[in-house]
Amino acid sequence: MNAKLAMVIDSAKCIDCKACVAACKQANHVSRGVWRNWIKEAAPPLENGKLGRGHFQPGACMHCDEPSCVAACPTGATYKNTADGTVVIDHKLCIGCGNCLKACPYGARFRDPVKRIADKCTYCPERRAAGLAPACVDTCPTKARVFGDINDPGSAAAQLLAANKGRVVRVIAKEKDTKPNMYYLASTAPDGWAVKPVDPLSFDALSQVVAPLVKYAVGLSGLGVLAMLGRQLLAGPKPEATPGHDTKEDGHDAS
Amino acid sequence: MSTNNLSHLSRRDFLRLAGAAATATAATAAQAVLAPEARAAAPAPAPAWESKFGVCDMCFNRCGLIARVEKGVITKLDPNPRFTKSRGMLCARGNAGVDQVYDPDRLKTPLLRVGERGQGKWKRISWDEALELAATKMKDIAAKHTRCGMLFSAGADTQSQFVNRFAEAYGSYNVTSHESLCLLSGNRAFVDTFGDVPLPDVRNSKYVILAGANRLEALVTPDSMDIVSILGQGAKVVVLDPRYTKSAALASEWHAIRPGTDMAFMLALANVIIAEKLYDAAFMAERTSGLDKLAAHVAGMTPAWAEAETGIPAADIARIARELAAAAPAAMVYPGRRSSDYENSTQIRRSFAIVNALLGNWDRPGGLVPARPAGLKKVPFEPPFYDDNPPGRVDAKSVPLLFDEEGSFVITRDAVIKGAPYPLKGWFVYKTNPMATAPERRKTREMIDKLDFMVVVDITMSDTAWMADLVLPAPSALERQDPVQALQAGAEGACLVWRDPVIAPLHESRPVFEVLKVLAGKLGFPEAFDFDIPKYREMQLAGLPEAAEILKRDGVFYPPNPPLGTTDGQPFKTPSQKIELYSTRYADMGLDPLPVYAAPKPSPDAARRFRLVAGRSACVTQASSTNNALLSEFEPENTLWLNDGAAKELGIKQGDVVQVESPAGKGELKALVTPKIRSDTVYMLTGFGSISGGLSRTRGVGASIVELMESRFDAICGNSAIHETFVSVRKKGAA
Repeated sequence: MNAKLAMVIDSAKCIDCKACVAACKQANHVSRGVWRNWIKEAAPPLENGKLGRGHFQPGACMHCDEPSCVAACPTGATYKNTADGTVVIDHKLCIGCGNCLKACPYGARFRDPVKRIADKCTYCPERRAAGLAPACVDTCPTKARVFGDINDPGSAAAQLLAANKGRVVRVIAKEKDTKPNMYYLASTAPDGWAVKPVDPLSFDALSQVVAPLVKYAVGLSGLGVLAMLGRQLLAGPKPEATPGHDTKEDGHDAS
Repeated sequence: MSTNNLSHLSRRDFLRLAGAAATATAATAAQAVLAPEARAAAPAPAPAWESKFGVCDMCFNRCGLIARVEKGVITKLDPNPRFTKSRGMLCARGNAGVDQVYDPDRLKTPLLRVGERGQGKWKRISWDEALELAATKMKDIAAKHTRCGMLFSAGADTQSQFVNRFAEAYGSYNVTSHESLCLLSGNRAFVDTFGDVPLPDVRNSKYVILAGANRLEALVTPDSMDIVSILGQGAKVVVLDPRYTKSAALASEWHAIRPGTDMAFMLALANVIIAEKLYDAAFMAERTSGLDKLAAHVAGMTPAWAEAETGIPAADIARIARELAAAAPAAMVYPGRRSSDYENSTQIRRSFAIVNALLGNWDRPGGLVPARPAGLKKVPFEPPFYDDNPPGRVDAKSVPLLFDEEGSFVITRDAVIKGAPYPLKGWFVYKTNPMATAPERRKTREMIDKLDFMVVVDITMSDTAWMADLVLPAPSALERQDPVQALQAGAEGACLVWRDPVIAPLHESRPVFEVLKVLAGKLGFPEAFDFDIPKYREMQLAGLPEAAEILKRDGVFYPPNPPLGTTDGQPFKTPSQKIELYSTRYADMGLDPLPVYAAPKPSPDAARRFRLVAGRSACVTQASSTNNALLSEFEPENTLWLNDGAAKELGIKQGDVVQVESPAGKGELKALVTPKIRSDTVYMLTGFGSISGGLSRTRGVGASIVELMESRFDAICGNSAIHETFVSVRKKGAA
């Protein structure tokens, strides 16, 4: 069985200290003003006129099993690495068109203001090759982020998933379940922030966003790009958007 | 230059460390270290970087770290998994340590002031010139004003001990640190109750009351991490805070206590615990003194009485008292760290200490534990005696129980301004920044204007350095060799760390040790610095022969740690040799022997309706971190937390610029309109509104809290009292 790298987050432990965000930026030399990961704060509930228990939600690219960003990429720069399950951007192939930014329901991608290409979480391959955990996981003060191969039952991440069966939830966009591999224990608050992925193949998007960018891309990269786009166009009908909830119980079936 | 005996880690070492940590410590820290897929994957290539141990310097915690160095450049800092005090973490500030090293705002050469003080006109001079000048000025001051005419102030740093040593050899009693602007009230209270400043064993606690401490933002290792761990294990954490902090957000319960009334809450807990006899009678009889007097004192201080003071329902107070006592001795009122709040903060913290005594938690798992032995030897020397010196510090006897080795910065400052009891005309400052941390900035400025000579050693042009005559560039903590430092980690025992340079010092920076060694030679007392750092470390570690090798291997050494309870039967270091519920010492000195509650005084001016409170974010260590490139992305400016109801009354909307004013000064910053703060309280971060032209990210950005705070101090120990200020708030441009 191939590996499936994933993050299992015990968000009840998250204190919103931003250590993971800072560590990621340092490890990956992310430009000022943009971030590969985040912590979102749930609006605290009002209980008897008093603010109730808060909740913080660490996040990043969810390395989905059905990534809408891969389908949106006209050059094949974004692809799913079947060996380890990560969604990868080949920076040499990225033309900075921005399709993938809109295709990601989680806002996990951004255009690097310096390099002018798409960027996002990579699970720190250089660190993994050296036997280290991703920077955000390594540095986390409360060890809220747990990382590993969830197809390996011996991994800490798989064990945490198994131990919390029935409590595991994921953040899922209403319009499309991209089968994210970011698992939260017990709560995904704040809910409702995942947006509708913009599919570049839809007519609206084509006419408004993609067409000029594709022209630009074709101008830049020539027929190869067009061929890749053609391949995607011929790839068949997209799966129906699943009517869903923001949070979905136990996404473990994805494995 | 100091010798470089760095530890190089191979990938195998990393994995060994990780594995060892997994067995030696809680799985929490270790899980993250050994990425599971690393086992399954093909053998990974050896890392193309060097890994070297370091010790973080972005706050006082000094967490162990591993620096990644590529071609002589530090590219990443990671937690040292062997350093269990931090539970294997490095916070946002720790990660931002790289930006501190390579900050373009760093001081690069010695600078001599050539314009007016504070005008920012500097001349680059050589180290030889700079040190000759400093030595000459210090000689002049000694000749004219006695040696006590020099004030020495050093911040939290592993080399600050050398500043104190230098002051002693030079002959001045006038030494202050940052502590009298921070934590002395709490220390005073616990020393006068228990004879010691204990450490909380949070990890084993079942019930923790966090009052006056925002531990999930103002990070203290290992307490902050342990609070989260025990919450997950079902322990109860009760937070009292006028703000809905992140500690409040994640606590079992949060009470928006009226600021300044914590003592009423604590005395009501004592009332319930005593009235219902929820204490361990044998422990109280054997280990404490004054229970009868305390019982009589708190007899009327019922939960109903405390409800009227604190705003916390009586039923909750009574319930908390019972729950706390039921969890005892694995229960505590968290002692806290910064306690520079009110003029009666020592007595407030005494009430914290007394409730702990009633829980019988001394030297028990989950309670308060005495500082653990570290085994470090002092490096003694014979300080000379100068018979022309005045009898004591300028702030001596200003308050009944001054810590003689710390003094009081606020009172010392007044003495300098007045020139009495004797003139103090020179100031040596190392890595502390009173212009940004002492209340009422204009008074610090006034003090500086009285000086003949002021020299600051620091890594950036702090607001204090900006006022100096001579500024000397120090290396960052990753560029220098430091003595051994003992750190306390609660019940788990002390640990020892040291620093070796991860990279060579940048620019022309020189560690303060070298500065002082040269000055000691020029001033005629070279014998006080008759060693280098390796020799000094050897002397410190004389009783721990295996420590040096282990420090090189692991970046940290754990001396033997006696089990808890070994102090049972031993006398406490108090006059009665017991835990002093009733302080005979205070009674003898005419102080309240039991904490007497007085309701906080209302604002003297109806227009100033808000009490200003200070606090921290996990991305800010006051003014030493706000100018950091990475951290400024999280906290680019400070805002004024203003209750949404109060904002509505004042016509202030989210993001409006507001003018804040107190008798001390004023400031302008954006309003953060929020339900997360009481309507009688406002809050802002420290470290903004800087005046130094050398701080490119914070100069004139946001408001300076020290511009607004009034100069109040703790009546017993002289610690700064920074929550005694009321401010007015209005929308900028409004009438």
